[in-house]
Amino acid sequence: MAEVVLKDVVKSYGSIYAVNHVSLKVEDGEFVALVGPSGCGKTTTLNLVAGLIPLTRGEIWIGDREVSGLDPKDRDIAMVFQNYALYPNKSVYKNLAFPLQMRRLGRAEIDSKVQAAAKVLDITHLLERKPRELSGGQQQRVALGRALVRDPRAFLMDEPLSNLDAKLRVQMRSEIKRFHQDMKATVIYVTHDQLEAVTMADKMAVMNGGFLQQYDSPANVFANPVNMFVASFIGSPAMSLIPLEAGSDGGTTVLRSPEGWSFALDGRNAAKVAKAKGKRVVLGARHSTVRLLPNAEPGTVPGKVYTVEPTGDVTFAQVFVSGALVNVSLPPTYAIRPDETVNVLFDQARMHLFDGETEMALTA
Amino acid sequence: MSTAQGQAIFRDVPASPPKKPHIGQRAWQARADYLYVAPAILVMLIVIAYPIYYTIELSFFNTPANLQLSQKQWTGLSNYTAILSSPVFWKVTWQTLVWTVLSTFFAFVLGLGAALSLHREFVGRAFLRGLLLVPWVVSAVAASYVWKWLYHSDFGAISAMLTAAGLIDKPINFVDNTQTSLYALIVVNIWKEFSFAMIMLMAGLQTVPEQLLRAAQVDGASPWQRFWHVTFPHLSGVSTVTVLLLVVQNFNSFIIPFIMTGGGPVGSTQIWITHIYELAFLRQRWGLGAAYAVLLFLIMMTLGYFYVRALTRGDESRAG
Amino acid sequence: MEQSPTTRRIDGWRWSGRLFLTFLLGFTVMPMAWMFITSLKTGFAAMQYPPQWWPAEPTLENYWRLIDPSSSVGQDFLHYFWNSMWVSTLTTVLAVAVAVPAAYAFSRFRFPGRNFLFFAVLLRNMFPAVVFLVPLFILMKVLGLVNTHGSLVLTYLTFGLPLAIWLLKGFYDNIPIQLEQAARIDGATRFQAFFLIVMPLSTPGIIATSIYSFIGAWNEYIYAYTFLTKHDQMTLPVGIQRFFSENATDWPGLMAATFLMSVPVVVLFLVLQRYFVRALTEGAVKH
Repeated sequence: MAEVVLKDVVKSYGSIYAVNHVSLKVEDGEFVALVGPSGCGKTTTLNLVAGLIPLTRGEIWIGDREVSGLDPKDRDIAMVFQNYALYPNKSVYKNLAFPLQMRRLGRAEIDSKVQAAAKVLDITHLLERKPRELSGGQQQRVALGRALVRDPRAFLMDEPLSNLDAKLRVQMRSEIKRFHQDMKATVIYVTHDQLEAVTMADKMAVMNGGFLQQYDSPANVFANPVNMFVASFIGSPAMSLIPLEAGSDGGTTVLRSPEGWSFALDGRNAAKVAKAKGKRVVLGARHSTVRLLPNAEPGTVPGKVYTVEPTGDVTFAQVFVSGALVNVSLPPTYAIRPDETVNVLFDQARMHLFDGETEMALTA
Repeated sequence: MSTAQGQAIFRDVPASPPKKPHIGQRAWQARADYLYVAPAILVMLIVIAYPIYYTIELSFFNTPANLQLSQKQWTGLSNYTAILSSPVFWKVTWQTLVWTVLSTFFAFVLGLGAALSLHREFVGRAFLRGLLLVPWVVSAVAASYVWKWLYHSDFGAISAMLTAAGLIDKPINFVDNTQTSLYALIVVNIWKEFSFAMIMLMAGLQTVPEQLLRAAQVDGASPWQRFWHVTFPHLSGVSTVTVLLLVVQNFNSFIIPFIMTGGGPVGSTQIWITHIYELAFLRQRWGLGAAYAVLLFLIMMTLGYFYVRALTRGDESRAG
Repeated sequence: MEQSPTTRRIDGWRWSGRLFLTFLLGFTVMPMAWMFITSLKTGFAAMQYPPQWWPAEPTLENYWRLIDPSSSVGQDFLHYFWNSMWVSTLTTVLAVAVAVPAAYAFSRFRFPGRNFLFFAVLLRNMFPAVVFLVPLFILMKVLGLVNTHGSLVLTYLTFGLPLAIWLLKGFYDNIPIQLEQAARIDGATRFQAFFLIVMPLSTPGIIATSIYSFIGAWNEYIYAYTFLTKHDQMTLPVGIQRFFSENATDWPGLMAATFLMSVPVVVLFLVLQRYFVRALTEGAVKH
């Protein structure tokens, strides 16, 4: 296994930038998730690493070798595709053997490696079948098997779980994770599902519009999103964003709504707001940091309940606060009804503040 | 679109992207791709581009019967004016229209009926489909001889059958009669090509979503309503292509009239292509023939425009 | 479903469908049947009115004559037959060889001028043979190909190719590009990915394309009629004319000849029908 390094990588089609000056380093044995909405450039980035499309600018290194201009076959990588891309006219055995045949291994060696890979993935009984005779989960395993049958320097995975049903997806998620730990494999994993990224990856690279937005551990990305996009993309339900205006009330910094209510900020948050370029500030709050109080108290703001969704152990409510929908998680016993007026309290220690002009996170 | 400078991984990005490369540059970058199409293009160039150019040139000259090109004389548009002022031109054009419209209409209607009746699964369906396709597969030469024999004025099977059915008293001379010859040939043409429409429409029928038909049935639509409101709209794309291809094919027909009647009697089955052939190859009026061909070329280009449009509509909706 | 109140109306539809099919079948089969029946008659038996619907003394004489290499008719017929076979086969092989890379490129690559070239190729089928007849005749003269089978093969290629490219492109469009990508990552070159993965998957398309090319070449008449003037070069559609003369046409002989001429393409077609139909479905309808 080897590290993978992208240095200032650009892919443009005419005047459209699919990947815009992306640099990142995947350490040897690390599991990195490329995550973002569709069209954000994550799959293009993966294809650039694989060598399936030519680079416009920049460098890609795998291990101690620059591979920027090399053919996919010379990069010594393995890839798992969203639609599995199993060779439909070949049996499972021949699908697994193909990468080894291409590397001109001997028949006996091929057979032992295929059998070993099949055993790891528990598909030995399927070896003589054709791909179309397999279930989605089995095809997925064969696709994984074809990737690990030889010992590549990195694994690339392009949404490998998105064609599976929900239950199977959870199961395969832990199997891939397990596989990564056992092999100590370098994995670059593309997904649009932030939950997959958060649960599986050592680090996640959040992309949007061809730009790399943030590259950090899932915990750090969750705790300290660098901008409003990352904040709203990571976490479920999404972080609520409320556009407000900074002001001062008798010397203390307050956030004021267009309707006229306001609440005071503590010292640390006031320092953050002081760094904003203009007056517009966006308040970000995750559902678990918002509380609903029976009576108006200092610091609470008025809201109106929109929907209530009991899920069993938690009840999620959406509350209109100054025109924005705020997600709140409540104990299931909490009595609340749509259209009810409530008092909303934001946790000052765990709230996020963003500059309304630049959409960047404000830091103290 | 939001940007970030949070971590050390960001760089300044040029405000405006570099200009789109010049077409020549892009073509050069894609030069390897052209290798794949080169053989096909080369063959097409030799055997298409050159003849088209040559035909256009010929249409402006009078060329001697022996095709001695060195002796050709520039005559400007006189070949064209000669054609357009000739009564034969209008007669042949009218016959071509009758031929094309009737052949296309009936081939399409029979083809549609066959496709609909064969859409449902039943034992022997593939065999029936194959049998119905045989006329389309056999050569037009064979078809022409067989029908000429069927239509024979003295021993024709069709006359005999009509007599046996009590419809006529004595054999009819279908082909050697200026009143009936064109229609007799149109029947042969329909026989030859209705199954082309059938197979195209059968393929089109497979794209009609079963769920929609079920939904319509649940909504209380009669079989006819289901056909008219669900099936037929789904066939419109295939139908357009099919009708266009039939029109082109019929406009360009040659073998059936050429072998069965040679354009006769008294020119009653002369259509454009047989007329051009006669002008050029039987009467050696190369310039006139070429001018006709250029006019035909223009008509075909117009049809071709609609053909390509009908084809690309699907392409774009898929790409989009 | 059978018990629904609309059963009767559906039955009405089904019956009119059957009636229509029966009529169509009669219309289709009758000429072919008459061709065969006539071919079993003697010249005298054919010239009767009303005709014998089934020959009183059926004979295979007409067929024996055609395939008897010692008779002059048989010699010619066999000669035409092999000429047709040779020209059609060569055309088919070349058309597929040229169309496969072109169709693949049109399906996969996005080079400048791709659309223009593709439709230029397709437009070839819009033009009647006659338009090209004079210039091609002169071209063949220049190339020294008049009275050779090369002139036919070259010409047939041009109308075989557009259809072949179009059909094959439909097949390649339906093969996911990820298969080639996977192969290239598994260590194959572009070329190997094509030959080891894509080609085997497009076999049905290649078969369908071959049938089209073969039948097209086998049935072609105008160019063969114009380019070939020597007897020993002629193909079947042109050659069988010699059974036909204004005064004393040998109808049973002609019918036997057209029957034999139709056999190879009809058999080829019926055996490989499903590829043919699938090609149309994938190419023509889905575009």
